[in-house]
Amino acid sequence: MATSHRNRDKMSTNSRDSMISVEDEADVFEITDFTTASDWERFIARLEEILHEWKLVNHKPHPPAMKDQYSTGSWAEKSEEVIFADFRFTFTYMYLKTGEETNSEVGKQDRKGEDEDVDEDHRTPTVFLDLMNFDNDFPSRTHFLCRWYGLQEFLTLTPVSEKQCIDSESRAKLLLSSASIALGNSACGIPLFVQLQSRWRKLFTGTSLVNGGATVEFEMSHLKRLPSQFCHLAGLLDVFKSKLGCTYISMPPVSVSVRFTYILADWIHGSWPQIPPDFSSSFCDGEVGYGEIDFLPFGACLDPINELHLSCTWPCLSEDMIVENSLYSDLDPLQAPLWSVRLQMTDNPQCLLGDFLNDFLKLSERQESTEEVLKKVMPEADADRDKQNPEISHVLQRLTEPVPALSSVPSLGNVVSSASAKITFRPEDAPIPDELLGKILIYLFPDAKTPNAVHEGKVNSSAKPSSDPAQSASATDSGSETKAPAEHVSDIAAELNKKLKSSPTDSLTHKLSLALCHVNHQFGGLLAVAHLWQEFILEMRFRWENKILLCGIEKGAPNLGSCIVHQKLQMLNCCIECKIKRESSGFGYGPDSLNAHNTPSDALLESTSASSTQNSLHKVGSIASSSGDDEDDEFFECEDDENENPNEEQATAQKISVEAQENARVKKASKSSAEDEVLSTKSDVSQYQDSQTHRPEGRMVSMKNYFLLCTGEQLYIPITQEPSPMTEDMLEEHAEVLAKLGTTAEGSQIRARMQSACLVSDMESFKAANPGCILEDFVRWYSPRDYIVVGENGEDVPMDEVEARSKVEDPDMKEGDNVETESGERVKMTKALQGRLSQRMQIPGNMWVEAWQSARAVPARRQKRLFDDTREAEKVLHYLSSMRPAEVVLHLMPNIVHAAVSKVAGEAAAALVPNARSMLDQLVSRAATLTRSFPLDRNKYREMLRLLELAETISARTTSLRSKFTSNHLASPAQEGKEEEIEGFVTSLLTQGEVSVRGGACGPAGAVIHKMFIAAQRSNNMIMDDEESSDFLDSLYKKPLSRHGSDRRTSSSSNNSGTGSTGTRKNSDLSVPSPTQEVRSSASCADFPPASVREYILRAMVPRPAPYSKVLPQRMYCMLTDGDNRLAGAFTSDSTFQ
Amino acid sequence: MEEQEILTTLKILIIGESGVGKSSLLLRFTDDTFDPEQAATIGVDFKVKTLTVDGNRTKLAIWDTAGQERFRTLTPSYYRGAQGVILVYDVSSKQSFNKLDAWLNELETFSTKQDMVKMLVGNKIDRSNHEVSKEEGLKFARKHHMLFIEASAKTNDGVQCAFEELVEKIIQTPGLWETSGKTIRPGQGGADVSQGQSCYCVI
Ligand SMILES: Nc1nc2c(ncn2[C@@H]2O[C@H](COP(=O)(O)OP(=O)(O)OP(=O)(O)O)[C@@H](O)[C@H]2O)c(=O)[nH]1
Ligand SMILES: [Mg+2]
Repeated sequence: MATSHRNRDKMSTNSRDSMISVEDEADVFEITDFTTASDWERFIARLEEILHEWKLVNHKPHPPAMKDQYSTGSWAEKSEEVIFADFRFTFTYMYLKTGEETNSEVGKQDRKGEDEDVDEDHRTPTVFLDLMNFDNDFPSRTHFLCRWYGLQEFLTLTPVSEKQCIDSESRAKLLLSSASIALGNSACGIPLFVQLQSRWRKLFTGTSLVNGGATVEFEMSHLKRLPSQFCHLAGLLDVFKSKLGCTYISMPPVSVSVRFTYILADWIHGSWPQIPPDFSSSFCDGEVGYGEIDFLPFGACLDPINELHLSCTWPCLSEDMIVENSLYSDLDPLQAPLWSVRLQMTDNPQCLLGDFLNDFLKLSERQESTEEVLKKVMPEADADRDKQNPEISHVLQRLTEPVPALSSVPSLGNVVSSASAKITFRPEDAPIPDELLGKILIYLFPDAKTPNAVHEGKVNSSAKPSSDPAQSASATDSGSETKAPAEHVSDIAAELNKKLKSSPTDSLTHKLSLALCHVNHQFGGLLAVAHLWQEFILEMRFRWENKILLCGIEKGAPNLGSCIVHQKLQMLNCCIECKIKRESSGFGYGPDSLNAHNTPSDALLESTSASSTQNSLHKVGSIASSSGDDEDDEFFECEDDENENPNEEQATAQKISVEAQENARVKKASKSSAEDEVLSTKSDVSQYQDSQTHRPEGRMVSMKNYFLLCTGEQLYIPITQEPSPMTEDMLEEHAEVLAKLGTTAEGSQIRARMQSACLVSDMESFKAANPGCILEDFVRWYSPRDYIVVGENGEDVPMDEVEARSKVEDPDMKEGDNVETESGERVKMTKALQGRLSQRMQIPGNMWVEAWQSARAVPARRQKRLFDDTREAEKVLHYLSSMRPAEVVLHLMPNIVHAAVSKVAGEAAAALVPNARSMLDQLVSRAATLTRSFPLDRNKYREMLRLLELAETISARTTSLRSKFTSNHLASPAQEGKEEEIEGFVTSLLTQGEVSVRGGACGPAGAVIHKMFIAAQRSNNMIMDDEESSDFLDSLYKKPLSRHGSDRRTSSSSNNSGTGSTGTRKNSDLSVPSPTQEVRSSASCADFPPASVREYILRAMVPRPAPYSKVLPQRMYCMLTDGDNRLAGAFTSDSTFQ
Repeated sequence: MEEQEILTTLKILIIGESGVGKSSLLLRFTDDTFDPEQAATIGVDFKVKTLTVDGNRTKLAIWDTAGQERFRTLTPSYYRGAQGVILVYDVSSKQSFNKLDAWLNELETFSTKQDMVKMLVGNKIDRSNHEVSKEEGLKFARKHHMLFIEASAKTNDGVQCAFEELVEKIIQTPGLWETSGKTIRPGQGGADVSQGQSCYCVI
């Protein structure tokens, strides 16, 4: 209650105050109707409310900003929308963040204490300090109001809509006076500006009510053309003084700061060297090799650096000290105490890599299917297929023709014609010319070339000289200083391989991505991409059908850390490998050709031949089936290890009859050992009944010290089927199916059953390998923790614990140690005999018991295959062939990004880009997130390419700038030893906005810049020397220096040269630019063009409005450029002593 | 009580040696029961539970894996995309503790989220014959930047807490459960990068 009451009080005071002020200002009153008074009152109240919100009421004065803080410090901004009648404004507070503000409460309290000491009213208001602060005169980057008035904080009122603008003076006045009422009520001395006219004009009027009875008026004029009498310092001083209106008193000298900016747009000695890459060479020049398809273009077509802006500054001079008028000027750029430089970059330098990749990504917007695209060029594809145009016969065939078939090399030529439907184009219609297609295919499949080429191909793909940026970078820069960047590059390469979900850089997938990118660029976009993709799929099918492993695809289950296309190719490779194993034993080439009645001797023969070719493998596939009319009847076949296992030397052919359900299977030759006959009948007979009668099959290795509980036989680990490899989409599907079963107990049961195939298969293999075994035996091998034995102290211990302990107790005994005491064995056996299954294994009807009971004794080689290679291969081929070109592009983008980042890394290192490492790190982490996020998002990839393009631009800028500053024409002996400084200067130019030139015109960088300007001037004025152009700079200095050999700067520099040998002395004499009038007059034009921008800041402490008023700061900023001139004055007047 | 909107669905993984009590912990968490007749898991099992942590309602899809050696060729495929993992050992089995390193290795190899949150749980503290001390567990967790708690699925000690803690940590890890829209600015090359408004341009 109390607060609201107080608020109301305040409101009423406010309005009363406002009324008074309005009545005071007669002209405002004139146009103010009282019907709008409420609008206007509301406006003021709202402003006050915001000022309160922003805590700007009773604002304490800040100290002036420190040197260069305006450009180096950070600025903050708050804004709110306010309404005045139907006008909507943005009310903004811009301020320089000072250290104090970020301090904690403690700091604030400290300051409060201080404030009490210093009398509030006697502290100089912030505005005054700012206006007279010489430390931030031409800040390199900041808000224009700050630049013009030197303010560290200000408020602005800007119309929200571009269309609405304050275009009448009366409106402006009304607005400003209303706003100042709000400021006055809030005791807020922060300058407030109102934007006038169109926004682009940046025209403002402003005011500040300074605590202690003064007002600052901020005025501005913006003119296209300035009368010529004002176009120099003398004229501007006149304007300033007349504005102060105190010509009748003797005025203190005005202090003047000046900055002239000169633009260098013609780079005579450092014109952009980029040569557009010659794509055609990689395809046309057959002898160069196929490694060049993975070449990515890089660089900018246009000079990425457009202009150099040199600003020469004369800070705070007295008006008496310099003269600049229409006839004469003291302001010689070479004499300016401060030089600073900034670059104007080219907006779109047309980056090659960026364009190259963007073109490719654009295809991802296309909707056509591969078939639809290709139909355009082969309208009667189906009809043509039969004809098999010999002209366009398969490139691979032609390439392999002269090569004699070698066993180690897949001879594609022999079988290629049997491959299904190759694409047939009329030769003139083929998007990719035949010969080139051949080269690309050879690049992708180096194993399809001549044996020689295969070898080369392997070397190529492993060494990869052209594509590996680490190597190319280290090869090009051998200097020691470039070593670090090169190391970075290999770091980056390693990181890319680790973090990106793409594919290895020497993989088929990677090459394919680059090849598609190239054909897109070279051979007409979508059509060519579709063509190559189609050829690729055909090759995939061909390889599957002919059992040729994919080269450049690592073996093993799909790597889930790679992109999906790569996983699919790995999957296909698994299938091919499986098919090879399956068929290599010679049992047949498919279910149809199976011989169900193989004699044992046949089997033995086959297994021997298989083992001779495929040594060191535990499992070699062969196929065995009873009928072969059903795919489901394919079996997983493992080579029996009896021939290899030294433990089992007993192998004589003997047929053993097995149970009825197994009678159709191929019976493997085997021999019973003497021990096999001795079957002890220990416990539960029913459990091993079914397995006690058969011959042991599919043993892999014996498990040391493990004996079957019932028979006392050696326990054998069986050969088992490997679980099926899966790609991530299969896995996801699988997981989804499992998850869909829900979370009920039944769901869990079904889930377990669905996944028990592998368990059952293992149980069957185990049973086959260990006749007479029981579940306890299986569990001891498979899940030792579920077999409980009695520990030393009589407690129940899982078996694996016992073993682990015995190992610890007996450190001499290692795993696989042959010497184990007889007693040890026996102890173990006794223990095992006393053991039992864990509680959870004993639950009646649990999955394990159930599976054990249903498992038959079947060795892995005769079990139903867990992995159906035929089906999986078809699935992969279907997946690939149903991809639209757009999908192909998008799915291969991760590889493209991978290649591009590594290209950028190499180039950035070679160009010695400053901060390259952090730029690359960001690119890598961005690429890592991008390639891992799913689904693939075209727009995100576009964004990524934009970043890559930016990195490319930065790299090109570095190259360009460095070549400009280190051009031979500019080098001179005086520069010797200064390379480091020049280098540092180039680096800071690239990384910072504006860079000051150490030593101004006389510093090493300054000298180079000076020469650049001279060269540009001479070329613009068509001055040609008779001498060699490279000598003209020298000649320029020869004349004056011979006359003015005692120039101060020259002599000092020759002193520096130390030894005083005449040669050195002479050289250094010649090269040092002597910034004197004579030097320049010797040439027939000025060294510098006319200044493009001239800025002046005029300041004085003058009493206003009357001579007896307080002495107050006055300031005027002037900027003169061609067609855009601005005067911005801040004039303070005493409101007490008027 | 109004149904609060689900903030996100998290994938949680439970791994560890066979018989350490992974399935029992999960059953305790989801159904608040202990079943001594819990069968050894075959492949992977799956349960769902919604959990509200710090006012955020999250749906947890928890994948319970089989610890048996033989299933280990299969189960890692399910590590994909998990935001959190609970690595369990049995405090009454030194052996199960010694195998933790191998499990972390496996996780490193197969998980797809680099910054997934890991929690170490020492289960079966109701048992008397402890072979692994709490200090050992703590030390291991500290070494591998994991959360740590001792628990018992049987007596319901620390189970709820373990899951809550894990979820909280995941939610606090930015970028782990939501796509981050961070933008980068490679280098600070040139003045033209900055925006027009606050940048003064001479021409
Ligand atoms: N005393 C005690 N026993 C437990 C506890 N948790 C689980 N168990 C028992 O430990 C045995 C194994 O538990 P499970 O939950 O099946 O173990 P798991 O880790 O899922 O094993 P796998 O599925 O084979 O990987 C069961 O007999 C449980 O009753 C516990 O907190 N205290
Ligand atoms: Mg389990």
